[in-house]
This record gives sequence, C-alpha cells and structure tokens, in this order.
Amino acid sequence: MSDETPVAVRLTGIGKRFPGVIANDDVNLTVHPGTVHAVVGENGAGKSTLMKILYGVQAPDSGTIEVEGNQVSFSSPADAIDVGIGMVFQHFQLADNFTVLENIVLGAEKLHGTGERARRRIRELASAYGFAINPDALVEHLGVGARQRVEILKVLYRGARIIILDEPTAVLVPQEVDELFDNLRELKAEGLTVIFISHKLDEVLKVADEITVIRRGTTVDTVVPADVTARDLATLMVGSELPSPATEVSTVTDQVLLEVSGVGLVDPHGGRDLLTDIRFTIHRGEVLGIAGVEGNGQSELVEVIMGIRHSPAGTIRLAGREISDESTTRRRETGIGYIPEDRHRHGLLLDSPLWENRILGHQTRPPCSRRGFIDRAGARADTERIVTSYDVRTPGIDTHARALSGGNQQKLIVGREMSGDPVLLIAAHPTRGVDVGAQAAIWDHIKTARRKGLAVLLISADLDELIGLSDRIAVMLRGALVGEVDPRTVTPTQLGSAMTGAEVPA
Amino acid sequence: MRRSAKIMIAGMAASLVLAGCGTDDPDGPDTDPGTDPGTSEVKVGLAYDVGGRGDQSFNDAAAAGLDRAIADFGVDSTESSAIDGEPESAREERLIQLADAGFNPVIGVGFAYAGAVAKVAPQFPDTQFGLIDSTDAMGDNIANLVFPEHEGSFLVGAAAALKSETGKIGFIGGVNVPLIAKFEAGYAAGALAVNPDIEIESTYLTQPPDFSGFGDPAKGRTAAEGQFDAGADVVYHAAGGSGLGVFQAADTAGGLAIGVDSDQYHTVPSELQDVILTSMLKQVDVAVYDYIKSFIDGSPLSGEVVFGLEAGGVDYSTSGGLVDDIADQLDEFKRQIIAGEITVPDSM
Amino acid sequence: MIRVRSMLMTMAAPILAVALAVLITTVVLLAAGDPVGRVWGTIFSEPRPRNIVNIINSGSVLYLSALAAAVGFRMGLFNIGVDGQYRIAAFAAAYVAGQAWVPGILNIALAILTAMLVGAMWAGIAGLLKVTRGISEVISTIMLNAIATALVAWMLRSVAVPGSNNITTTPIPESSRVPGMALIPGAHNEIYGFVFLAVAAGLFYWVLLSRTRFGFNLRATGASESAAVASGIDTKKMILAAMLISGAVAGLVGMPLLFGDSYSYGVTFQPGLGFAGIAVALLGRNHPVGIAFGALLFAFLNEQANALQLQAGVSAEIVKVMQGITVLSVVIAYEVVRRANRAAEQRRVAAELARARAEATEVTG
Repeated sequence: MSDETPVAVRLTGIGKRFPGVIANDDVNLTVHPGTVHAVVGENGAGKSTLMKILYGVQAPDSGTIEVEGNQVSFSSPADAIDVGIGMVFQHFQLADNFTVLENIVLGAEKLHGTGERARRRIRELASAYGFAINPDALVEHLGVGARQRVEILKVLYRGARIIILDEPTAVLVPQEVDELFDNLRELKAEGLTVIFISHKLDEVLKVADEITVIRRGTTVDTVVPADVTARDLATLMVGSELPSPATEVSTVTDQVLLEVSGVGLVDPHGGRDLLTDIRFTIHRGEVLGIAGVEGNGQSELVEVIMGIRHSPAGTIRLAGREISDESTTRRRETGIGYIPEDRHRHGLLLDSPLWENRILGHQTRPPCSRRGFIDRAGARADTERIVTSYDVRTPGIDTHARALSGGNQQKLIVGREMSGDPVLLIAAHPTRGVDVGAQAAIWDHIKTARRKGLAVLLISADLDELIGLSDRIAVMLRGALVGEVDPRTVTPTQLGSAMTGAEVPA
Repeated sequence: MRRSAKIMIAGMAASLVLAGCGTDDPDGPDTDPGTDPGTSEVKVGLAYDVGGRGDQSFNDAAAAGLDRAIADFGVDSTESSAIDGEPESAREERLIQLADAGFNPVIGVGFAYAGAVAKVAPQFPDTQFGLIDSTDAMGDNIANLVFPEHEGSFLVGAAAALKSETGKIGFIGGVNVPLIAKFEAGYAAGALAVNPDIEIESTYLTQPPDFSGFGDPAKGRTAAEGQFDAGADVVYHAAGGSGLGVFQAADTAGGLAIGVDSDQYHTVPSELQDVILTSMLKQVDVAVYDYIKSFIDGSPLSGEVVFGLEAGGVDYSTSGGLVDDIADQLDEFKRQIIAGEITVPDSM
Repeated sequence: MIRVRSMLMTMAAPILAVALAVLITTVVLLAAGDPVGRVWGTIFSEPRPRNIVNIINSGSVLYLSALAAAVGFRMGLFNIGVDGQYRIAAFAAAYVAGQAWVPGILNIALAILTAMLVGAMWAGIAGLLKVTRGISEVISTIMLNAIATALVAWMLRSVAVPGSNNITTTPIPESSRVPGMALIPGAHNEIYGFVFLAVAAGLFYWVLLSRTRFGFNLRATGASESAAVASGIDTKKMILAAMLISGAVAGLVGMPLLFGDSYSYGVTFQPGLGFAGIAVALLGRNHPVGIAFGALLFAFLNEQANALQLQAGVSAEIVKVMQGITVLSVVIAYEVVRRANRAAEQRRVAAELARARAEATEVTG
C-alpha cells in the first residue's frame, strides 16, 4: 500500500467489546482516497459496529482512527461529520411528507439556509455527481433508488468527502443497483471516498477497488477484485464453503393443496387496490415462489391467506375445503405454518422466554395446551425438542427470545411452524438477516418438508433463494400476479426485470 | 329538620360575634369573654375534614373558634386533618389517637366524622366528643353541634330578592350534598317570600365524592359567570373556598354576591368588598368556642345543640352597608322565623 | 441458579425504590424544616394491634383495586376507570343489598354479582368504544369516571334515606353483613371477613393469567399485538374481555368496605381507591404476590401517617409524596433491573455460542 498521498481513513487496532461479546478485535483498515472500498462479512461479523465507530456513534475501547492523515476521536456523529465523514443507513431516514429539499436541509439549515440558496446548492451537487433529482419533489412519490440518492445527497450537502454506505443494495432491484454503482463511480471520479458495506459478493466484486473481509469481529484480509472470485471471498468470510439453495429432484405431486381464486383487497385508507384478482394453486410437495419488489402486495397476500385480513371477494381452499371465512386460529389448526416476514413484530414475543414463544400460534393445540389451560410441561418439552433438532443456540429455554441472534430466533420460528406437521408453509423472507449457517439449515428444513409433501408459499427478496428453492415462480406487481417464470431457466437479472414490470420472459 | 330534644343557646353565642363584624343582634353578653387567659388543664383535640386549617372556609371557622378558646382560656390543643380519599378507619384512628393521648374534649369538624364518632365515643366514655353538622351519632358524651342553615339562608334569600332588579337570582353550591341543599332551600324560600315570581338559577360545582367544589375558585367563577350572563344580578354561594371566584365574577359582571359561613366582607381582597351584599353567617367558630367553654365550665354540652337564629348561630351580616336599607324587612323575617310564624323548608 | 439470581434482582428493585423514596422525602422534609427524625420514627414505629387490623383491611381493598388495574396492564390496556367502576358498582351492590330482596347470605351473593356485573358493564363501555371506534381507553375511562360520579350522586339522592347530612342507601340488614374476624390479639377492631375475597381474587388472577390459554393470549397481546394477531389471537375480543374482567374485579373493590364497615353507600364512601390501585399495580409489577406487598406497603404508610400530625406536626400528606416517589422510582428501578437482566442474558447467550463454536472447531480441527 502506497503512503505517498495521505490515506482517507486508517483504522488501527480497533477493539470494541460489549458485555460478553467481542464485536471488534484488532480491526485494521486502510482506505485510499478516491476509491470505493468494500467491507464484507457475514451478518454479525462486526461490520456494523465498525462503521458505528467510524461514524462516531460508538467509541472504540482500543485503537486509533486517522482521517486524512490526522488522528481523530469522535464523541458523536457530529464530530465525524465535521471531519467530512457521512453515513447512509440501510433504513432510510427521510420524512415522507417533506420534499427532497426539506429533507436535505433538515438539521443543516445553517449551511445554506432553507430557500433558494439551498436549492441552488442541491442542484449543483446533483449535476456534479450525475444524480437526476428534483429538489421540490415529495419524498413519498419517489422510488427506493431515488430515496437512496436523496440520502447520499443529504450526506454530500453536509460536506462529506468520505461516505459510508451500509448495505445499500439490500433494498434495490438489480437495475437500481446498476444505477447506484454508476453514481458511486461518479463520486469516485470527483475524488470522494466510498466505504461500501455489503455481503453480496457479486456486487462487491463489480464496484469495489479494494475489499476488506471481516470475520468474527476482526479483519482477515484485504484483497483486490481482480485477484479473487466470489467463492474465494465467501471462503474468507465464512471460513468454509458457501451453501447453495438449489433443490434436487422435483417432488411436485398432482394433488392441489392450496387454491386461491379471485382474491382482492381494497386499501382501507383509499387509493389503489392492494390486491387484484389473485389466483394460483400450490400442489403437495411444491414450492411456489413469489417474486416482486417489496410493497407490491406480497405482505397483504400472506395476510389474506392467514386470515389476518379478509378479502371481500374470491375463495381460498385448503385441501379442497374452503377456508375463506375461517379465523386465523382455525386456519393454523388445519395445518398452515407461518414464517412471518418480520420476526420481531409478527413472529416472536421478544421479552418472553423461548418456551412461551413455542406456544405462540399453537395456543389451541397439544402439546401447548389442554382444555383451555396451558400445558407448561408439554410446551417446555417440545421447546427442548426444537432447540435440539433445529440447532437453536441458546443457554436454555427460559432465555428470552430477544437475547438470541437473528438466525437462532428464526430457527426457533421455523421449528415451531414445522411442528404439528403442517400441510402448507407460508414462508416470508425465511432467511432474511440470518447468517450463512442458519440460512443453509433453514433451506434444508424447507427442502426436507417439501419432500414429505409439504406445500410452500415462498416470498423472498433474495432472488438466488427464490430461484434455488422454488418449483415455480410467480411475479407480483402492484397487487397482481403478472406472470410466471421457470426457475430452472430464469436468471436473477431476468427476474429483476420482470419484477419491475418489463416483459416477462417466456 | 329534627325536632328532638335540643338546647337552645341564646345570647351566649351572640356575645362572641366579633366586634366590628357587626351583627344586628347585639343582645348583650350573658357571659364574660374576658376570662383569665391563664393556663388551663384542658387539652382540646380538633379533627378537621379534608383541607384542614387554612381552607378559607369551614375548617378555618372551626380553627378560629379554637384560637379564641386558646386566647381566652389558655387551653392546650392539637389539630389533625383528614386527607383526601382516606378510609373511614383513618377518621376513627384520628379520634382514637386524640382520645388516647388524653385530649378532652375531642371535636370532629364536619358530618363526615359522624360514623367515626359513633364508633369511637363508646370506647372512651370519659372523653367528650363534639360533632359539628351531624346528629347521626348520638350519645351521652357526644354533643351534636348543628345549625339551621336554611333559616339563615332564608334571610339572605330575602335580601337577594329585595335587591334584584332583574327578577333573577342565583345560587351556587359547592358540592351537591344534603347539607348544601339546605342552604339552597332556605335561600329559595326567602326569595320567594319577597317576590313569588322570582327566578332562581341553581348550580352545584361538583358531585360527591368529588369534594373539590368547596375549594376551586375557577369552578366557582365559571358557574357564577354563567348565572350573571343568564340575567341573574345577585348570586349566593355556599361553596367554601370556591366563593372567591363567585365574587370575582360578580365584580366583572357588575352584580352582587352573597358570602357564606363567615362575614366575607372582611375576608375577601378589598377590591371585591363592593360586590358583597351580605353574608350568611354560620358561626362554627362560636359553636367550637361555646363547646370548649361549656367543658371548662364543668357542664359539657351534649345531645343536639342548635345554634339558631335567635342565638346568632346563623344570621346575616351587614358589613359594607348594602343591606342597611332593607335591614328592617330582614329583621322582621327573622322575628317571624324565631316566633315560628314562618317555617323554613330544609330541603328542596 | 439463574432464576434465584433474577428473583433476587427483582426483589432488589422495590427495596431500592423505597429506600430512594425515604431519601428524597427526607430532603423534602429538611427543605420544609420539618422534624425528620420524628417523622420516620412515627411512620416506622411498630403498629399497634388495631393499626395492624386497619392495615390488613385497607390493604385488601387496595389489593382488589390493583388487581383490577393489573388485568388491563398485562395486555397493555390502561384502565384508568377502576375508580368510577368500583364506585358505581358499590352503589349498585349497596342498593341491592339494602333492599334485601333475598335473605341472608343469598343477599350477599346477589350483591356481589351485581357489583361485578355493573363494574364489568361500566368498563365494557370503554372496551366497546375502543374495539368499535378505536377510542383510547385512557380517554374514555377518564370520562366514564366523571359520568359515574354524576350518575351515582344523582341515583344516591333518588334512593337515599333522608334526614341526615350524610345521605346513604338503605343499610344492609344485619343478617346480610359479613362478620369480621378478631384475629389480631389486643385489637378492638376486626379484620374484614371479605379479606378472603381479595385472596380469592388474587388466586383467580394468578391462575387466569399464567395457567390458562386466555391468560396467555392476554399476555401475548400485551407483549406484542402484531405478533398476537399473527398467531391467531382475536385482539378485539381480547380487549373487550380484558376490560370486562378488569371491571368485574373493580366491582369487588368496594365489597369489603360495604359488607364489613359502612353497610351502606353514602357520600362518605371511600373515594380514590381506583387511582391508588393503579399505583399499587405498578409497584407490584402486576404480579399477584408483588401487588399484595405493594398494597400492604401503601396501607401501612397510610395508617402510620395518620399519627404524623399529632406526633410530628407534619401533614399526613407527606406520605402521599413518599408513595408517589416510591412508584416512580420503582418503575425506574424495574427498568434498570430489566436491562441488567437482559445484558446478563445476552452474555450467557454469547458464552453459549462461543462454547458451541469452540467445540465445533475442536471437532473439525
């Protein structure tokens, strides 16, 4: 590494420990100016903690931070902003009912005021970096990609020369990812430095000039894309082979298990319909994947099938029996397992022990309850079973769900929803935010159950997962199923196009 | 009103009405208030209702009586007041503690102490208990110190009707309990006796068990403003501390107001004195003082003791001179009531 | 081991809170120039037998009130209306019992049933409004408290026995009164026979909440409404049911007083119990045993404070300050303990993961 020009950022021996957990240990990172530097690692490897330290959200226990040749120490993000570091978070921090201009100047009114001067500055920045954005557009009318550009503009407006992007592609479809990368190249060309956090290796290889790999809280290597393959990176990340979701032989039978026909849903707050005339079937032993950009009705579809929302029209039949008018509890009793998309909000009681979480959704059935009373012994014993056979890493079943890592929480949910031998599993983003090991385990469980005749409705934003697990993939757009693709032939790029409304490949 | 055996205390009380407060009943003293203020063996225990000393109302009147007894006889004393929302047992406990500590007599201020006195008095046969405003607890060692509030209210009702130009007057009760209804009934009867066509607006500030109506000037003001707006030009309040708001409303509206319990001409800020037509005097201080005095004299009162019109236990006040022109008519009503020619109703 | 430690930490919170309350109240007393030593000497003196009886009696009433509030709290409902519910229920029960339509013990049963029904109904209005119109139960129960006050005052005047400054319902006949128990030697007064009602309600609460499916659903709804819905719980039904139960328990609050002390409902019937109950429920962390301690602590403080004016010349209201601070600090202390417990748990999970990882490396390596 050359030391002729001062480096943009140099972290030396950074350590950070939380009670009982070492989040970062001897992290060393050198970022050169005018480059895109990727930091990759599994979920929980310590990337986020490292970036929080660099952005002044948390102070390191040990080590030094150098920015543009000067040693610095931050007590708050304001200090980091002062030396020219900006951060774009994975979850956007924008006020929907404000305009782009208002969102950008919010909290930085002192720089260029809130009026014409600010508008001029935003236009300058936008044209300098090739961002097509109208300062007076309402944020709620913007797409995800545009919102992300607003976030980046926000950071640039505050004078950032070093920009940290935390998992920026997680929310984007492939076309938007390309646009983002074009933007990043513009930034780089203008001499700005980008630190890019991701675990999507293909993307990292495409855009980064240098890649630093973090594993278990420590930096294991820094490589140049030309020298490595995605497999090499993955091996560095997990220290083992990358699992693949690919299904083996088809187990699809000719028995229709779930038949949805003519289901619709009207937005109670007005506006366009949330679901329009949805029809599909799933057979025993079949996985139907639903592809679509998030917010196109997938959540609503799941809720209608679960009986959480009620469709004014159409019918839902499970194994030939109409269930449209049945309660959620009744539907669950008939054998629907449900892995909700947001495990914290819909899947768990975070401040309850694991064995009580085992009961959730199974209140009316053995082994959790008997004649209106909770069967504590039964529930506890069955929780032990799940912990063992689904490899939930926990000190015990009295541990609160909140204390577990995301992957272990999800394994508990999967174990719970697979118990009582469901005939249909609705899995919404079953491996989102889950580490590689847990991901492989969850895929295995779904595949095993499928072999035994389980029908699965799979909703996922991870196109690899969708293609790898599904027997058929239906594309959902604006509340309607707009076409079907064959997972054996479709590529992620083609699927991405289909999701944004382009012609569906035959 | 109960017509059971009662002792009418005549004159004794009247002498104690504060000089300068002025009543129209200077019957002349039967007793000499200037007894040696030296030390006395007597220890008086006073148990107030919620609000205690300093409530600008009922409890303060009792406190004033005690203060005079201290000044005149040098009695020892202890005071304790109820707190809001306390259980019945707390009132009992308060009386027990006083009696236990050797206080004698023990006075319960307010009808809320009736149940407690009924329970505690038999446990302490050698202690005398005074109970103000209630005849619910009777016994050899219990004195029920009560007032015909309706009779005094009759007089101020008559005054209101005589002074009203609009033919409409108002009444504001602090809390809607039978005791305050007595004030209202007498007031209405007095007003109707003067002018059978008079209109009477009546408002109660709160409903039990919310007793805040006795201590919330803002509520009093709002209610009085409503009555003045509706055309009333004289408003009588039986609302304790809330009365201040009534006077303020009268001041703003250019109307008149009638005070209660003490001669409020002397208790309000001076800029409000002009609005006070008269006050219905309910001499709780006199009752307390007389009761303590009777104990010191060796013949403690017991049974129902009515502090009536004749004795000046209830009366109307003349400070400020606004009723000077109608004093003759009011005194005539007073005479008729005392003589039994007029029977004042004690409930609506 | 872990359970014992977490239990100790749970106990630490209220004890710390009371200590903090004593400290802050001391500062208040010092600032006011009051005799600190005599105040604490009075409050923490050994209660006399009759005081012990009073503490148990008013503790039982507070306990019922706190249970009523706790039922709501466990599912995230803030039933501020316990106050109105118990008063309107006590009035109804007093009226029914006073009429003596049925004899003796049947009359008691009828009155209690009436109280529970009326309390449940009154709370149910707030429940219905929330379920059908989305009106916050906080607002509606506060309103219903005011309406209950006016309604009871009006009804009381209509049915009252005239001739006294304290209007009351017709007294309950001797045969339908609940005799007290002279359990404390040396006390003239007796413990309410209906203390057992409080104990029974506590047991019912415990079984309902921690052993039944209904209780699980209630707690799950309180812990996470979204997760409850996804699990199949009809949260609207739960809201209504919880309000009805809370109201029915609130209906019991006045029963020990009615059948053991006043024998009628009048304007001096003890007010404010509903609000005291909310504080006690917070203090007892909605746990049936915790609430019992909280109720007894509050009753103890109230009873001991009675002598403050005589012994120390300080208004008994200082004890309200102390109670307020206790509740506030207990809420804070519980939060601190909760976080400490959570951190400790995360450490244990991390240790577990590290151990598993180490084993895995040993096997593979």
